[in-house]
Amino acid sequence: MKRAALVFLLISLPIAGQSAKQWVLDQSTLSYHMSHPMHEVDGVSHAAKGKGTCHDGRCDFLIAVPVNTFDSGDTNRDLHMLETTRGAQFPMVVVRTQLAEPAGSASTIYADLEVQFAGQTAHYAHVPFQLTAAGGKVHIVGTIPATCSDFKIDRPSFLTVPIKNEIPVHVDMVWHPI
Amino acid sequence: MQLAAARLTLVVSILASFVLQPPRTLAQEAGALSGSVTDPSGQAVAGATIVAKNTATGQTTDARTRPDGRFSFQALAPGSYAIVVTAAGFAPAASNANVPGTSSEPLQIKLAALPNAPAAQTPAASSEPSLADLGFTTQQTQSNPQLQARLARRTEMLKIHQRLGIITTIPMAAAVITGPMAKAKGKNGQTVKEPTQANLDTHIALGGATTALYLSTAYFAIAAPRIPGTEKHGAIRWHEALAWIHGPGMILTPALGIMAYKQENAGEKVHGIASAHGAVAYVTAASYGAAIVAVSWPIHLKFWEKQK
Repeated sequence: MKRAALVFLLISLPIAGQSAKQWVLDQSTLSYHMSHPMHEVDGVSHAAKGKGTCHDGRCDFLIAVPVNTFDSGDTNRDLHMLETTRGAQFPMVVVRTQLAEPAGSASTIYADLEVQFAGQTAHYAHVPFQLTAAGGKVHIVGTIPATCSDFKIDRPSFLTVPIKNEIPVHVDMVWHPI
Repeated sequence: MQLAAARLTLVVSILASFVLQPPRTLAQEAGALSGSVTDPSGQAVAGATIVAKNTATGQTTDARTRPDGRFSFQALAPGSYAIVVTAAGFAPAASNANVPGTSSEPLQIKLAALPNAPAAQTPAASSEPSLADLGFTTQQTQSNPQLQARLARRTEMLKIHQRLGIITTIPMAAAVITGPMAKAKGKNGQTVKEPTQANLDTHIALGGATTALYLSTAYFAIAAPRIPGTEKHGAIRWHEALAWIHGPGMILTPALGIMAYKQENAGEKVHGIASAHGAVAYVTAASYGAAIVAVSWPIHLKFWEKQK
């Protein structure tokens, strides 16, 4: 088992930790979770695009996704979400973060995120992401602890009961260096 | 008793007319709001988008700054407004205002440049990726205040549709329950017991109230703005498909009811197509209930998940 772990590290370290000048988002699944006493809803988007540029041992990452690409399984609900989050006025969710290059080789990385959404900007410090490297690509999984109040979103109600303030966003991304 | 039924119908109609008043018509006096938008150096920012959201009703109105950086809203409903200003290359700015204003001073909003805007870039930051590098189309990234206003109007109308739809279930259920009491009882083809006039009047009043409320409910769904380029999927499709059953049913049911009432009043046994009044009403009520359940189906999923 220890040997397997050592082999994995030997393989993954050069891949994940290599000083690539740029990284490009290959595949992504972003999903927000909305909770109500009578509803549990997940809205999923695969339309995110991202790029990372490294310089002086640090990498700046930018990830953006159109708000209207989130699909919760019901058109009516998605249009209501678009209205509530001012998604036509501010059509993009933009996430910026800066990571130290060596962080790419760790199994868990902690990122300080700047998220622009619904015309507001929120900062999330020390958000953990699980990182695995394979086949020259890096797979990153984590959850951004977003809330409606962070973005001044009026919580929608169903039968006069509003949804929970917490709308965690699960992030599942595959990056590759160029 | 017919007078009582007429009074009941009148009371329900008056109540319905209050419910149906769109929020915007409640605002009797409109007010103006004006101001100017400048950059950090005090220069006018042209083309900035200003969105004013009424904090009480949630209704939004937007405007754009003119070349001199000034903007104005001419017909805002009185109340408190949250103002959000956006412009390319600047961080969004927020402010608050009251209409009519407590001060005659126009709003003055100064925008801060974005940290990665060209003017603010440091040599190291100049290599940071920008939104333009990601390859999104202008259509995807461009703000669309008109669409936002359309979405807001749509939500507003569908909220009324939802509330009225739930209210409609009350007289509808009562009309279904009182239906058998308004029917002549017979044996071997002979009428052995006529319904009382009070039962008939109550049933007619409830049926009338149901029809009025139903038509109002339908209006707010049909007239809600459509969003271009939207392909419908999910529970809303069932909700709309069922309307093709309860919609015609809500026209047919009262028509058959009137025919049945006339036949009973003429001393005849209800016959012909009028005898289908009850059956059509049950199908209509059932499909109406199913349409409500269709858009609430995750309720059952949630309860089922909890039991696991």
